[in-house]
Amino acid sequence: MKTRQWFKLSFILIVAVAALTIYGVAQAQQKSAPLPQHPPAPGDGKNLVIQLCDGETNLEMKGVKPDERLSPDQAQTAANKLMSMWFAKTDPNVAEAWKKEMAEALAQKKGSEKAAPASQSEQDGVFTARERQVWERELAREVEYGNQIFHDDKLVGSTNGVSCAMCHPNAANTHPETYPKYQIQLQRVALLRDMINWCIENPSRGKKLDADDPKMRAIEAYIMAQRKGVAMEYGKH
Amino acid sequence: MHKTLLVLTSRFDSTQPRHRLWWVKVFILVVFALATVGVTSISKHTDAATGSVPQKLPVAIPKGIPADLFESLIPKDNPLTPEKIALGEKLFFDKRLSSDRTVSCATCHDPAMGFADGNMVGIGIELKKGARNSPTILNAMFNEVQFWDGRAPSLEEQSKLPLINPLEMGMKDHAQVVERVKEVPEYKAEFTKVFGNEGITIDTIARAIASFERTQLSGDAPFDRFIAGDQNAISESAKRGWDLYNGQARCISCHAFNPSNPFFTDFKFHNIGVAAKDQNFPALARKSRQLIAQGKDSALVVDELALQPGFSELGRYLITKQPKDIGAFKTSMLRDIELTAPYMHNGSEKTLLDVVKFYDKGGELNPNLDGGMRPLKMTDAQMNDLVEFLKTLTSDTSRQRMQALKPQTREPAK
Amino acid sequence: MQAGQTMMGRRRFLEMTAWAGAAAAVKSFTPQSFQLVEVVQAAEPIRADERPFTFAYISDSHLYEKTLNERFVRQLERAVADINALDPQPDFVLYGGDLAQLGQPAELKIGAQILKDVKAPIKMMVGEHDWFLDMGDLWKDMFGPAYYSFDHKGIHFVTLMSVNEKDFWTAKGLTPMQRMQIVSGLDDGRQSAFEVGEEEREWLKRDLEKVPKDTPLVVFSHSPLYKLYRNWNFWTDDAEEVQALLRPFKTVTVIHGHTHQVLTNRIDNIHFHGMLSTAWPWPYAPQGLPKLTVQMNRVDPFNQTEGMGDGTIQVKPNGRVDKDYNLWNRNPMKVSARYLNSNGAEDSPAKTTIPSY
Repeated sequence: MKTRQWFKLSFILIVAVAALTIYGVAQAQQKSAPLPQHPPAPGDGKNLVIQLCDGETNLEMKGVKPDERLSPDQAQTAANKLMSMWFAKTDPNVAEAWKKEMAEALAQKKGSEKAAPASQSEQDGVFTARERQVWERELAREVEYGNQIFHDDKLVGSTNGVSCAMCHPNAANTHPETYPKYQIQLQRVALLRDMINWCIENPSRGKKLDADDPKMRAIEAYIMAQRKGVAMEYGKH
Repeated sequence: MHKTLLVLTSRFDSTQPRHRLWWVKVFILVVFALATVGVTSISKHTDAATGSVPQKLPVAIPKGIPADLFESLIPKDNPLTPEKIALGEKLFFDKRLSSDRTVSCATCHDPAMGFADGNMVGIGIELKKGARNSPTILNAMFNEVQFWDGRAPSLEEQSKLPLINPLEMGMKDHAQVVERVKEVPEYKAEFTKVFGNEGITIDTIARAIASFERTQLSGDAPFDRFIAGDQNAISESAKRGWDLYNGQARCISCHAFNPSNPFFTDFKFHNIGVAAKDQNFPALARKSRQLIAQGKDSALVVDELALQPGFSELGRYLITKQPKDIGAFKTSMLRDIELTAPYMHNGSEKTLLDVVKFYDKGGELNPNLDGGMRPLKMTDAQMNDLVEFLKTLTSDTSRQRMQALKPQTREPAK
Repeated sequence: MQAGQTMMGRRRFLEMTAWAGAAAAVKSFTPQSFQLVEVVQAAEPIRADERPFTFAYISDSHLYEKTLNERFVRQLERAVADINALDPQPDFVLYGGDLAQLGQPAELKIGAQILKDVKAPIKMMVGEHDWFLDMGDLWKDMFGPAYYSFDHKGIHFVTLMSVNEKDFWTAKGLTPMQRMQIVSGLDDGRQSAFEVGEEEREWLKRDLEKVPKDTPLVVFSHSPLYKLYRNWNFWTDDAEEVQALLRPFKTVTVIHGHTHQVLTNRIDNIHFHGMLSTAWPWPYAPQGLPKLTVQMNRVDPFNQTEGMGDGTIQVKPNGRVDKDYNLWNRNPMKVSARYLNSNGAEDSPAKTTIPSY
């Protein structure tokens, strides 16, 4: 009853309290149901095995020890191979759509969007050109940092040389606009950041990032920036 | 190259022993040169976003300050040249620019005092007290507008007003200032060299002073090294303070900081209640409007009202006449804040801890209190952490300059 | 005191004491740079019994007890200080409804206490938050009838109770507080639509019968007297019937609360203006926004008074009004009669380049 009335007031403090409550509930849920662990990579332990983020498509790299790091060329080849294995076994329509999106992403290099110039008719002249410049620079910095992490296996903490962009050029097929959605690998509702971590842990065999880790924030910023203008479609599979 | 920058001459202050200063200057110069070696942008991933590499400037830009922003804020009609900077420096320290030859710009903006004066409010000729605390000129060029209430749009316009304010340098008018400068033979030659046919006018005087001020920068503080990735640059207590600054203490909202705007200000005006409690604002506001409307040169009337007890507390309102600006003052920058006590627009808070306590209680209630103010409920330990953080904004250069230099005196100039 | 220099034949006195009382400073300071210029006097004095005149408004304070939320209390106090500082004083002040958050005695009492300090006469209007705990009993005890009319300087004013709801509670067996809670939720779909209702429309019809059709009308209602967005009750269910009663009059203006935002509309000869809240701003409705509305943007959500305020309404000689939104953190915004008369072609308020919140 009490929470109900508080919910009716849309000011920041209350939203914060609500967020904390939700967080608490989520924490409690987490305690009661531990997240599924990704399966250990199959194989006899002699060769490096790379696993796709679906948790079931694996590629054994002959002649590469399990703790070895691939060269960028090797890693890109492996990523391409894994993607084609996945395309072969997934729904043809889905595969087609993904291929199309990847091709589009590779074809056009998106420039960073320039904000409209400050207008003097702004009510009260609220923002100066210089303030806007600060916003733009800071946003560009954040997205650019994400861009670097996305393309650099070491920055994202990969142990096997696989970077994000190897499967997701220009963040293609990351579909940030479809979260939240029920994610079968996780057996719960996932947010974009959960899937970023899933990819870091599986194909890249790295350690997952905290939600508030500067790298996580930058990766999210970069991915969202690539999907500018796409309609929100939460729950879409 | 940046010799002009830091060698703060004693030429116009006959009370300073000259021989004692040369090694100090050399020392500062060496420190400064070392500090500015290898100036790079924040970290690798900023380069793409923060744009161009600066051309050669007659001033070294300290670490943490965006060089392209510095360049973009130099007025097109007042380019920065070494000769102009040197001339501006002379004028800045010249007491002959005041009616009784006892007060120069440096009297209230003293390099030995962090380019402030250590007093609650500025003290002009005949020890007359104003109503506002002298702010530092360090990084002042990055301000959107000058003075606590923003009544001057540029450093050039700012420099003209104290010259003729009766409570500051007390000259009758700008014509008298120009006369004074013309009396000095060496100025004649230097103005001709820098400004050609324009010669000595109030505008060229202002342009020279402003150019010198633009070279007085503060950066490369321990905090800048911390932000650039050096985890050992500041103490654990200061790191906790930085977290508080961004969180519970809510400082960041007005004293904004990020690598694109590393000055700890939002360039806006806020009423935090410093002296608003005892004011009869409606009556003061009405009276000030009358005086401004009936006076011939409203800018001069505003400049005098700004230093009058009572009227001064109207703050930004004197300029905008908008009720929202009653009792609102500029968000000051925070670099070198440790060196420029006392604090607030009227110097009413003695120490940084006092300032933090003032914010902790949510400022002083008054009808126009800024909506961002509220009690912070910090512990004593947290407040100390916050002060520790604020001290990491002091640049080594400013600290050493302060230790090395002697304060200005009020001996009349010849 | 110390004698200053003389200039232009004037003596200047400086208060040298740090905090000489403001009053003293106000009285005696003449700037040195002061030179009198001729001030053109207003063309002719206005007689007290004639228009134009000004009234002020405060609205939507949503008070909790001070122990629960001191901020809302302070913000209403701030609005009262604003209005009391107006010079000249307004002829009267309209309180636009939702003084309380949950219609509780302590909430209404602290509101009444603060409004006592308003120097000008005050006209009270009721909002749904004041009403649905006890169906208006206490509010009416404290402030009088929920709807009424009065005449002032040749204008006929009507204050309506426009937030009646069809009974959704009896069948569900809800307690008064449960009913209040549901109504207090802007987006709570379990409630009915606001309406003036048949009984009150009948009263309005009879009230207006006595008024000549060329007398300008100004109508106060808590909800907008048109249909904007049903989900948030930015809506009056019998708006068309009410408008039909007003339409025969040459000049009609409706001043409403509830929407907590700058809101402007015109339907035929009726001009509509929303009032700001002192508690919080609502976002704009996702549909139905009138074309004439120049939206305020919310530039600084961090600021606890952003998008809030109070204001004044200048009634012109012909009975049309200019409406001032006194936004606390920004320059005031004026929505003029000329803007509405010209259907937005002239005298448009400054638009924001940033989409509203």
